[in-house]
Amino acid sequence: MNEEQEINADEVTNDSQASEEETNISDSAQLEVSEFADKKTLGFGFWLATFWLVLISFLAVFSPILPFKDADKNYIAYEQKENPLTGKVQERPVQPPYAPSGEHWLGTDQDARDILSRTVEGARISLAVGALTALFGMIVGGTLGMIAGYFKGILDKIVGAIFLVVLSFPGLILAILIVALLDRSLLTISVTLGILGVAPIGRLARAQTLSFSEREFVMAAETLGAKKSRILIKELLPNVLIPMSTLAMLVIAVAIVGEGTLAFLGLSVQNSATWGKLILTGSGLSTLESSPWVAFVPMGFLFLTVASFNYLSDRIRDYFDVRDIFVTRD
Amino acid sequence: MLFFREWGKKAVPKPIRRLIGLLGLLTIVSMVTFGAMNFLGDPLFNILGPVAADVDNPESLKAIEEAKAQYHLDKSLPERWARWAWDFVRGDFGVQFSSSGQPPVSDLIKERLPRTLELMAVAQIIAVSLAIPWSVLAASRANRRTDKISTITAFAFVSIPSFAMAVILFYFFSVQWDLLPDTYTATDPFWGISHDHRLIQLILPGFTLGIGSAAAYQRLLRTDLITTLQQDFILMAKSKGVSKRRVLYSHALRPSLFSMITLLAINIGFMIGGSLVVEQFFRIPGIGSAVVEATLREDFPVVLAIVMIVSAGFMVFNYLADYLYTLIDPRVRNEDTSKPRKITSMGM
Amino acid sequence: MLHETDSADNILELSDYRVGFRTERGLAKAVDGVSLSLKRGSTLAIVGESGSGKTVLNRGIMGLLGANIIEGGSAKFQGEELVNTNRQKFWGTKMAMIFQDPMTSLNPVMKVGNQVSEPLRLHQGMSRKEARDRTVELFTLVGIPEPAKRFGEYPHQLSGGMRQRVMISIALAIEPDILIADEPTTSLDVTVQKYILDLLVDVQSKSNMSMVIITHDLGVARGRADEIMVMYGGRIMEKAPSETVFQEMKHPYTQALLSSIPRLNDPKHTRLTPIEGFPPDIVDGPQGCKFAARCKYAQDTCLTLTPEETTIDTHTYFCHFPVGTDAGSEALKSNEDKGFTAAGLRIKSKGEVV
Repeated sequence: MNEEQEINADEVTNDSQASEEETNISDSAQLEVSEFADKKTLGFGFWLATFWLVLISFLAVFSPILPFKDADKNYIAYEQKENPLTGKVQERPVQPPYAPSGEHWLGTDQDARDILSRTVEGARISLAVGALTALFGMIVGGTLGMIAGYFKGILDKIVGAIFLVVLSFPGLILAILIVALLDRSLLTISVTLGILGVAPIGRLARAQTLSFSEREFVMAAETLGAKKSRILIKELLPNVLIPMSTLAMLVIAVAIVGEGTLAFLGLSVQNSATWGKLILTGSGLSTLESSPWVAFVPMGFLFLTVASFNYLSDRIRDYFDVRDIFVTRD
Repeated sequence: MLFFREWGKKAVPKPIRRLIGLLGLLTIVSMVTFGAMNFLGDPLFNILGPVAADVDNPESLKAIEEAKAQYHLDKSLPERWARWAWDFVRGDFGVQFSSSGQPPVSDLIKERLPRTLELMAVAQIIAVSLAIPWSVLAASRANRRTDKISTITAFAFVSIPSFAMAVILFYFFSVQWDLLPDTYTATDPFWGISHDHRLIQLILPGFTLGIGSAAAYQRLLRTDLITTLQQDFILMAKSKGVSKRRVLYSHALRPSLFSMITLLAINIGFMIGGSLVVEQFFRIPGIGSAVVEATLREDFPVVLAIVMIVSAGFMVFNYLADYLYTLIDPRVRNEDTSKPRKITSMGM
Repeated sequence: MLHETDSADNILELSDYRVGFRTERGLAKAVDGVSLSLKRGSTLAIVGESGSGKTVLNRGIMGLLGANIIEGGSAKFQGEELVNTNRQKFWGTKMAMIFQDPMTSLNPVMKVGNQVSEPLRLHQGMSRKEARDRTVELFTLVGIPEPAKRFGEYPHQLSGGMRQRVMISIALAIEPDILIADEPTTSLDVTVQKYILDLLVDVQSKSNMSMVIITHDLGVARGRADEIMVMYGGRIMEKAPSETVFQEMKHPYTQALLSSIPRLNDPKHTRLTPIEGFPPDIVDGPQGCKFAARCKYAQDTCLTLTPEETTIDTHTYFCHFPVGTDAGSEALKSNEDKGFTAAGLRIKSKGEVV
């Protein structure tokens, strides 16, 4: 536009490649615009993660009607082998575990059970635990938090005290305690993990409620004479839900990991396959040596799911620019 | 009432008040745990075994009565708790219900706690040693390929649960490549570099525990480093002819460490209880594995004692973390130290 | 187009030096063709508003601007070409810089003493003890009380004046051939200002160090600088020995700057005469003279034709209608009569701009 382009193109050789090698320290002028651009779009990773989660949920929910092999059946294969004692050729069973093949896409475990089917079965329980935990945490924690944040005063202090006590417990130990002492049902485990999740969610809900209740639209509703419960539900809840959902996703991730940990200690849901259990089955020294897929397949599924939840939570938080305070329990 | 509150606030400085609050919290934790165990389980069964149910047999009955008397099981729950608490604060942790001969719980603790502490120390040292160069590398090439890769890596590691990590590492280093030992023997000597020394035996479990922390530290440290690197005093250091490497490590690192160190303190507290799985998998006889065993055997005194230790440790380290700033940040050292500082990302 | 001096005597020679930044909207020409020579041992004051390009110019010369810039033209330091090279070898040895705000330019978690002794240990090979002694010496020189005690203190424990003195100690420790001081006294109060400036001049005369002082305060420049260069919009407006600038200024911008300074002996309630308007856009800037939009003398020529250099003896300026010339006076009068300039700036009579 400006014809007086006085900087001669020949002289301009400050190749950023060359300078990269020389001066690697970022300078104030250097924060690329892209750093800020990242936060405004949801990005490729987001959709990838969502795709995975949708896929795994679909598989989990519809597994009974999908053409997977039976998860509990022992698919022992037979082959013709010469009996070393008699010299006759007989049909003998092949020692499992079997490697991935056309027959079993992801191989089998030591009892010749198909890994793909078992992993999908495991998804059902693990995801169920995650969902129930998050649900419990959101309902109980969210409600408590919102009450505390909106009504303040003594209610706030009581709720705060409850949160504090829950937070001070060594979570894993508590979970082990309860599950060991009670029973090992899906419900118990979910509720236990859920209790642990109540505090972070509740704190967040409270903080968000506190900050929102100071805003105009709430005061407007109040002056118009709206009942407190109405305000809570119609005005505050929708706003508090978004940050809570990002936290809920984290809780699901933590719950799935928690279930896995419990399973690894032998304390998970009885009579069902869960990812943690599957990984445990595959973690013996000899199994790992000979057939690592037994452990690594469920691990892969677990990792992808947990990472997806973590990533989604991060992304959404960036996108909506949520500033929240919550206790990180890695 | 209000008067007392105000007077209390003035007479007792904030850090002390917090300490008292923590003690109160600990008390509540002990009550809840105590209650949960007694409510949900049966101590009698643990002490006596199946005999406890055998109420028809007169001999068993006698044993039951004796046990009840000895362990005050006939008294009310609050009273039992009070008895336990009184013993506890005087150092008497009770006896192990489910071990033959019923040795004192403190023996168990003395035996096991150092194992866990060893593991924790190794884990955190590994974590910090990994996190610092990793962050420096990422921050100095912020937003370029190296950084993007390391951010993704850090994220991935944070998403891997410790038991999965244990299996993965075990698989590669022990099973496939046979580089590191696969067992831990508490009686082996510590210092040394062969497979028969605990130091080496702790590498794999330490790494398992530590890598997650390392990733978490990296994320914090990298962000803070990037912020620091934009400050004028970095430009100043450059203009003095300080080399890139020196600028990064001697000038930029120190002011950026605060968030990471705070997390470190919190992590230590958390790790005392969080090392459970790793201890189980690698068969390290620490208090993590002790509490798992004890829970499965419903050995209440052991569980109670360990819960208390873990909670106390966690609280203490959290508390310390809040005041850590005043110790390490020279800007704050000379100021009013009675207020815990908010943990901002830079504190600048 | 430079002074009639022997090149070997010039520690710094800029010839059509340019610095541009790549931005979303295009190339931002922060420094748009600056030429100057600095004689060894002399002081140049660069005066201008924020956005005039003075800081970019100086950081550009030092080479501290980072990798996103485009450099053009020529900048020779002691005969060696600097443009598009890595200048790290000069930093801390031959070239030194004092930054504007000592609070942010000193590392808050490092003892001030160590920050001063660092270049001594790195470049002059001193041992810890030697460097420490020298630092204490320097502290005494710059007037920091209790120097030994101060060595172990942190920046926040010192006052603003003392921090700036620490900065100067760093520069002195380096014993550079050229010192670039970016607004060295802006954050200080007046008495300290004088002390610091005198100190700098004193050091300079003793060691024949060359100095470039950047300031927006003409008063600081006067009496301390051998030469004053007035910058605007990335270009030079006027350059001359300091007294010449004050007594025989030629550029309307310089004149406006001078008249905007309140004087102690002005009568009470004298109105301040600020320069109306804003600095020009350096990406999509105006054609012609950069100052035209805010200049009382502006004519149509100014809007289309970039003023060429006029050099009389040691005085250089870039203006079509310079102050004090016939052309200039006519231009001003015609604008006053019309009531506004060719750029649309309103003028009240008596040279007051609305």
